Amino acid sequence: MNFEHKIKDMDRREALKRTAWIMGGVVSAPAMMGILKGCAAKPTINWKPVFLAENQGILISQVADIIIPKTDTPGASDVGVPGFIDQLLKECYSKEDQDEFLAGLTAFDEEAKKSHGDAFNDLSAEKQAEFVKNIHDEAIKAKSEKRPFILKVKELTMLGFFTSEAGATQVLQYVAVPGSYKGCIPLSEAGNGKTWAT
Amino acid sequence: MNLNVDAEKKNTYDAIVVGTGISGGWAAKELTEKGLKTLVLERGRMVKHPDYPTATKDPWEFANAGRATQEDLKQQGVQARTGYTIRQDTKHWFVNDIDNPYTEVNRFDWMRGYHVGGRSIMWGRQSYRLSDMDFEANAKDGIAVDWPVRYKDISPWYDYVESFIGVSGQVENLPQLPDGKFLPPMELNCVELDLKKSVKEKQDRLVTIGRVAHATAPLPHSPQRGTCQYRNLCSRGCPYGGYFSSNSSTLPAAEKTGNMTLRPNSIVSELIYDEKLGKATGVKVLDAETGEQVEYYAKVIFLCASTFGSTQIMLNSISNRFPNGFGNDSGELGHNIMDHHLSVGAGGSVEGYEDQYYSGRRANGFYIPRYRNIGKNNRDYIRGFGYQGAASRQGWSSLVAELSLGADLKSAVATPGKWTIGMGGFGEILPYHENFVVLNKDKKDKFGLPTLTFDAILRDNELKMRKDMANDAAEMLEAAGFKNVNKFDREIGIGLGIHEMGTARMGKDPKTSVLNKWNQVHACKNVFVTDGSFMTSAACHNPSLGYMAFTARAVDYAVSELKKNNL
Repeated sequence: MNFEHKIKDMDRREALKRTAWIMGGVVSAPAMMGILKGCAAKPTINWKPVFLAENQGILISQVADIIIPKTDTPGASDVGVPGFIDQLLKECYSKEDQDEFLAGLTAFDEEAKKSHGDAFNDLSAEKQAEFVKNIHDEAIKAKSEKRPFILKVKELTMLGFFTSEAGATQVLQYVAVPGSYKGCIPLSEAGNGKTWAT
Repeated sequence: MNLNVDAEKKNTYDAIVVGTGISGGWAAKELTEKGLKTLVLERGRMVKHPDYPTATKDPWEFANAGRATQEDLKQQGVQARTGYTIRQDTKHWFVNDIDNPYTEVNRFDWMRGYHVGGRSIMWGRQSYRLSDMDFEANAKDGIAVDWPVRYKDISPWYDYVESFIGVSGQVENLPQLPDGKFLPPMELNCVELDLKKSVKEKQDRLVTIGRVAHATAPLPHSPQRGTCQYRNLCSRGCPYGGYFSSNSSTLPAAEKTGNMTLRPNSIVSELIYDEKLGKATGVKVLDAETGEQVEYYAKVIFLCASTFGSTQIMLNSISNRFPNGFGNDSGELGHNIMDHHLSVGAGGSVEGYEDQYYSGRRANGFYIPRYRNIGKNNRDYIRGFGYQGAASRQGWSSLVAELSLGADLKSAVATPGKWTIGMGGFGEILPYHENFVVLNKDKKDKFGLPTLTFDAILRDNELKMRKDMANDAAEMLEAAGFKNVNKFDREIGIGLGIHEMGTARMGKDPKTSVLNKWNQVHACKNVFVTDGSFMTSAACHNPSLGYMAFTARAVDYAVSELKKNNL
């Protein structure tokens, strides 16, 4: 992306923010992308799942972008996290863990229907964000021994994002070849002071 | 007839070295530098410095964030028991368990790689000297057999190998952990410095920086090696040559002499013994690629195929003279398996130090040398343990179970997390005759060679020691003011320390040991065994430096004996 594009992008984002303000709500990143692409009606994904069904892939994309949204740095789907999760489920999960994950996904969607009347994918961006936050905060507070579905998605999203180039170099800091080790220095002198990616 | 004579001539060298790991690399370097035409046999594939396939990849270049796939675990399920080896960046250094099976009566972890350089590529690099406390231990405790050497015999050889490989460390003047020829030490971080102070004041014990085979300063004699770049990607292989491996260090030195013939894909199945001469005349090799069988001959043979690798060859070398395995008059071949027992210690969180951090990735941590049973035994177990540990600030994963979400999560992750600290013990395992390995002729590998069956467990002394290993760690962390201190003591199998030792021990008496004090087979003077199998006791720290020192010393002896026509 060249500089000119960045300016244009910023202008568009700025315009959208204003639109959001006029509409009286916060527009989530994927919804924003939808508006930008002029296809807000039905959520879609631009990657082909290898493990999940299409609608499950859409759900994972939207949840991932609520967990790590685009801000002044890229968000989860910008760096391919949903596809990363899909592939990891297929290649790294045992059959048992896969089944458990899918059952968790179904229960998550059922819960959305119960509390908001619609499947998760059909909720407004605002309702999706609210629902995810509620489920997430409850899961954190419950401190159950077994990691609930929402925290599995959170962990996978963070794993995919912070091992991506953008996550490692823009949100965190990464130096491939440090060349030296300083054991005890002021935080302000440790590169740009952000968390080291590795 | 002539053809055979020609072939025999062509396949004849002054010396044969079996294996290219830490010991084999050193044997190759020393033999070739002393002018011997040396055939170096490696059962695995060729790996040439600096061609390590994943060495310079960034995290985002690996599928699945580098995690093992289900297919990987199917192929390398046993090797994956460590929890850290079967990943996309390092899995190619570990064997395929389906092709390389073994049998375990009790859980037994045999972690290994078959390639040029062996485990010198993915070793832990921690390098410590044995002391007279260790060499005298068996005699004092009246167990197993006495070491046939003392520190003064080995000390100059430690000097010699350290100077060549480069060991970074701090001089501490501890009798139980002799200092070496050190390159500049790496730094402890702020929290570790605090622990050091507290442990000195409150327990009168030492916390020092780990002694590691990293070049923290240039090594002019090894121009192919650079200094450590603090990437902490060592086990991928280091294209900078920042740490010692056979590939970066000893094999290039051997190559330079023009006296080395390195033959990869060469599985040594047995030693050839000549009953009339009373000597080994060579080895039988199975070509791993073609299946072809070849014999090679030499005046002197160095077995450096790893503890169980060499023992397997010896157990499989049956003759009228040695019906129970090569050089096995004592019946000790395959017995006295040792390792270090670990996965026990404590961790905690640290308050404060929020404005302090570190830069660079130090492939090292702090070390607490053994302090138990020094001078006299006053615990309900004998011997002791050391600790390795580190403090660091948490990264993104600590926020999975926190409330942050969305943009808040992104900004929270960018701020370095809380400091945490942890340490794990490395405990000495005693040499028990009852911990052993035997050939399993009923189960053959894909080359038709008999496999190994292991029967070894941790026993009373180790289990008692583990209580101290967990409690002492927690006590030191708590005394230093760290919070949420948690002890851990996980169930392990022998082998998980990847420090296997002892199955062809050295000793004074041929009736109770396989090797003499020169790593020479008591009953066959032209065969030397210098990998971990020679260890008479295990001490409590990483043993590889000792294999190097004993190997260099054994070669020096072997060549002088050869010149005197004594072999």
